[in-house]
Amino acid sequence: MDALTITNLTKKFGDKTVLDKLNLSVPKHSIFGFVGKNGAGKTTTMKTVLGLLKPDEGRITVAGERVVYGQTKTNRHIGYLPDVPEFYSYMTPYEYLAFCGKISEIPAKDLKSRCCGLLELVGLKNEKHRIKGFSRGMKQRLGIAQALLNRPKLLICDEPTSALDPVGRKEILDILLLAKEQTTILFSTHILSDVERICTDAAFLDKGTIVLQGSVSGMRNLNSSKKYVLELADRKDTEKIMQAFTGLTLNQNHELVFREESGLLFSILHFIAEQKIPVQKLEHMEIPLEDLFLEVTKP
Amino acid sequence: MKTLLAVLKKEWMETVRSGKLTVLVILSVLFGIMNPAIAKLTPWMMELLSESLSENGLSVGNITVDALTSWTQFFKNIPLLLVVFVLIYSSIFTKEYQSGTLIPILTKGLPRYKIVLAKFILVFSLWTLCYWLCFLVTYGYNAFYWDNRTVSCLFSAALYWWLFGAGITSVMVFFSAFSSGSTGVLLGTGGYVTAAYTAGLLPHIKEYSPVMLTNSLQLLTASAKPDGCMKAVLVTVLLGTFSVAASVPLFNRKQL
Repeated sequence: MDALTITNLTKKFGDKTVLDKLNLSVPKHSIFGFVGKNGAGKTTTMKTVLGLLKPDEGRITVAGERVVYGQTKTNRHIGYLPDVPEFYSYMTPYEYLAFCGKISEIPAKDLKSRCCGLLELVGLKNEKHRIKGFSRGMKQRLGIAQALLNRPKLLICDEPTSALDPVGRKEILDILLLAKEQTTILFSTHILSDVERICTDAAFLDKGTIVLQGSVSGMRNLNSSKKYVLELADRKDTEKIMQAFTGLTLNQNHELVFREESGLLFSILHFIAEQKIPVQKLEHMEIPLEDLFLEVTKP
Repeated sequence: MKTLLAVLKKEWMETVRSGKLTVLVILSVLFGIMNPAIAKLTPWMMELLSESLSENGLSVGNITVDALTSWTQFFKNIPLLLVVFVLIYSSIFTKEYQSGTLIPILTKGLPRYKIVLAKFILVFSLWTLCYWLCFLVTYGYNAFYWDNRTVSCLFSAALYWWLFGAGITSVMVFFSAFSSGSTGVLLGTGGYVTAAYTAGLLPHIKEYSPVMLTNSLQLLTASAKPDGCMKAVLVTVLLGTFSVAASVPLFNRKQL
């Protein structure tokens, strides 16, 4: 069973259709990257899953249970980190977590240890100041702690890394990787390197529909253009191969770039072996997800 | 019940740590002192003014002040305390809508009605605290300087005015449940008061208007009887209960 299933979700704001028959399923224990441009409908989708917005059409199930707008009981399976999390500024992080714990009806005897454990996980254990003076990164980390408090089956993070500096981003991604042990994570982003770094699965959202969905490794394979890069120790050898074969190009680093078609790779390797040409590097070229994303979301 | 208590505790913490409680307590005590002080100072002020008044052909006779003068001041000043109270608490919901602080809590599965209930309990209790604190201070001074027994129906008059204010707190919660900004809350609450005053002017429905509860002077001078307000009491209690009850489905439907 999937942690989250969305079928035919449609949401309009006035005349504007923000989500158009969106279908999505998030497998259990995955880190699911939900990728889209600004305004593609990522936050709307997430808020509808949380029962904060009323869908015009469609069905959402979380851990097999249907989401009902207004009285959202399914939220007890979910931990949510909003894009710009805001907490009660007059509380300390511990007080805030303890308050959240009481709301989630966590037994009093577990509460203290769980709060302390989570504050340690997000690196706020020794923070005794009130939330008022927190930086964005600190709020984001506290946000993850409060989202994980009720041990959710699904953790939803809305662009957790978008507004952070490189250090803050790395911290959040590391915490998410740690959290993967406990839960399924759905996180929206427009930073594709984050997806490549930690996600197991991903979906690309464009104009309110999913244009591509699958495992990140599958996407990479789909995306691999069967291109190879060959670097030789000696420039003369490079020229020799250029003359012997057709369909090779030279890039600015004086490397040979070619597309693997009708056994070209093996012919070249054979040639290299016969001529005993010293090789520096032979690499399968991976094209970043970014190019794939740009391709599938072309206007 | 436990979760409701947790939300209440949070509301209380907010009122204390934001300094709202301090401001309200200081204001209530100040208002309470002001009433007997003005009464006490009236003869002295009149004496100061008497010369310039007599030049204008007005003569000032002997002015006697008593507990009634002070209580008259109390009921003249208490609307101001209510206005300040409403201004301070008109943003009790809307501030949370705007900053998004409710989202992490609601997405933990907290039933929304508990938020409405906790906020209403807080506003209602604080109004009760401020009002009776102000009342007690005035009562103490009046007992010291004069005699509170010379005033008739004091407790009924005070209770009625308190009820009028309590009605307004519930109306404020009602408008907060769906207005996105505090301007909407203030306009709605103001609209309720205006409607009540308008109804108070019309001959046949006058006695049903909550504004009847603020006719304290007539009660103090025994020119009206407390029983005459029973219809207004009933209407205020019903309206108040309805406002809080109706806030729940309205708040449930609010998109955050």
